[in-house]
Amino acid sequence: MADNNVLQISAAVLLIATFAVVSRRGFMDWLNAYRYQSIVLAAITALIASITGIWEIYIAAGLTLLIKAIIIPKILLRITGKLTLEVRTEISPYISIRASVLISAMLVALSYFLTQQISIKTDSIVSTFLPVSVSLFLIGLFVMVVRKKALSQVVGLLILENGLFLFATALTHGLSLVIEIGIFVDILVGIIISAILMSRINYTFDSLSVENLESLRDD
Amino acid sequence: MTLDLISVAIGIIQTLVLVVLAPLLTGIMRKTKARTQKRIGSSILQPYYDMIKLMKKDEVVSESSSWIFRASPWINFVSVVAAACFVPVMIFYSPFGLAGDLLVVIGLFGLGRFFTLLAGLDVASSFGGLGSSREMMVSALIEPALFITVFALSLTLGGTNLSTMVESATHSTVLAPSIIFAAISLFIIILAETGRLPFDNPATHLELTMMHEATILEYSGKGLALVEWSQSIKQIVLFGLFVNLFVPFGISTAESFAILGIGLMFFVAKTAFLSIFIAFIETKVAKWRLFRVPDLISMAVASSIIGVIFFYLK
Repeated sequence: MADNNVLQISAAVLLIATFAVVSRRGFMDWLNAYRYQSIVLAAITALIASITGIWEIYIAAGLTLLIKAIIIPKILLRITGKLTLEVRTEISPYISIRASVLISAMLVALSYFLTQQISIKTDSIVSTFLPVSVSLFLIGLFVMVVRKKALSQVVGLLILENGLFLFATALTHGLSLVIEIGIFVDILVGIIISAILMSRINYTFDSLSVENLESLRDD
Repeated sequence: MTLDLISVAIGIIQTLVLVVLAPLLTGIMRKTKARTQKRIGSSILQPYYDMIKLMKKDEVVSESSSWIFRASPWINFVSVVAAACFVPVMIFYSPFGLAGDLLVVIGLFGLGRFFTLLAGLDVASSFGGLGSSREMMVSALIEPALFITVFALSLTLGGTNLSTMVESATHSTVLAPSIIFAAISLFIIILAETGRLPFDNPATHLELTMMHEATILEYSGKGLALVEWSQSIKQIVLFGLFVNLFVPFGISTAESFAILGIGLMFFVAKTAFLSIFIAFIETKVAKWRLFRVPDLISMAVASSIIGVIFFYLK
């Protein structure tokens, strides 16, 4: 019972961290919030490892901490160092920040509702983290859709990836370590590619707004 | 819980403690803010001196004002003192809890706020009108967050009656996740209700952005003293609610003098700690643009909604 309570509180803390990422407008703000979210995620992974007793998950937790809390923010900071503040800040998303926070809360409700319909053999880890990971997934997708700047769409991708990682870890009690490392390399490469794309977009249009990419041009 | 003499006496003492200690809390917050900004600051008893000075002075009332302007400080004061009756301070119940619950406390605050706003409009100064419309906007936006938070809290703690809530908070051994979300939401609401910094700057006295200060700008003398006193009582009531609902540690469960004294000491320590914490936050953040205020309130709404979700779907 005490274990169960710890799990639920850690899930709650992860959701709070996710909302901190969603509600931030400036680049530095959400990057710091994303760092906190990754630290919480690493702590949860370590918690799962200590409950299940599988040592490989500890390595996954360490890798999460290293890659998501340190390396990815470093890469993003270095790439965007040359951009001006105006280019980096999400000024007018399609849906305002405050509405997207409320909609994200609704998405959490939706994912709890949906995962209750699935009847699978569950233990307390799965039943606690499955809805949270699905809600991270939905929130990430939602954030990617409603933001205008390419840089802020990356935050959606990162939330989504954290959700997927939690989903896999909670449901399978640890993927094979090779697959874990593959996924980490994948997200790292994804961030680097999107960073290169962003710098190209900025070079061509002098802004990171993806609206510029919507019209076809002849020349 | 019956209405015997001892419990009524305890209830009256609890209300008196809140009413008397309220300006001290304001003083502590001002002192902390001054120290964090590398100023020495005035003594923590300064709000008391201010009030005594104001009580001795004559009151200047605008000719164009009506009875509302003169009645409003009294209505405000009486409503916050009545709200203070329902809040447990050093023991886990309040004997007047038979007459009202958390919703009554919110309603009494609403009544006081309504008359403050009317008084701001009544004197027909442009500042008063501005302040009233701004404060009306914030209070209208706060309302949904407040009620969903109350909903989440009363689901988790078993009722809206404050005595029941604090009692079950005292006895609960596990920390329910919905309580965490309700605490975050209530914290934002308290910042808004007491006019703290991301919403309103309590230190300004003549500035275009002020909200609460603008509505009470025309008051002087005894009226001003009453208005300031009721504002600090409202603040200590909200802080007391927060600490007793979420950190009930140290609250006394028996009716003996020694334990009550310890409970009182814990209460003062906890509220002082909370007020110092809020003063630190105030030093750290700047006042937000009025149209960014809904961002923070939407955080409160979202947090309280998730609190309710965690209760139902865990």
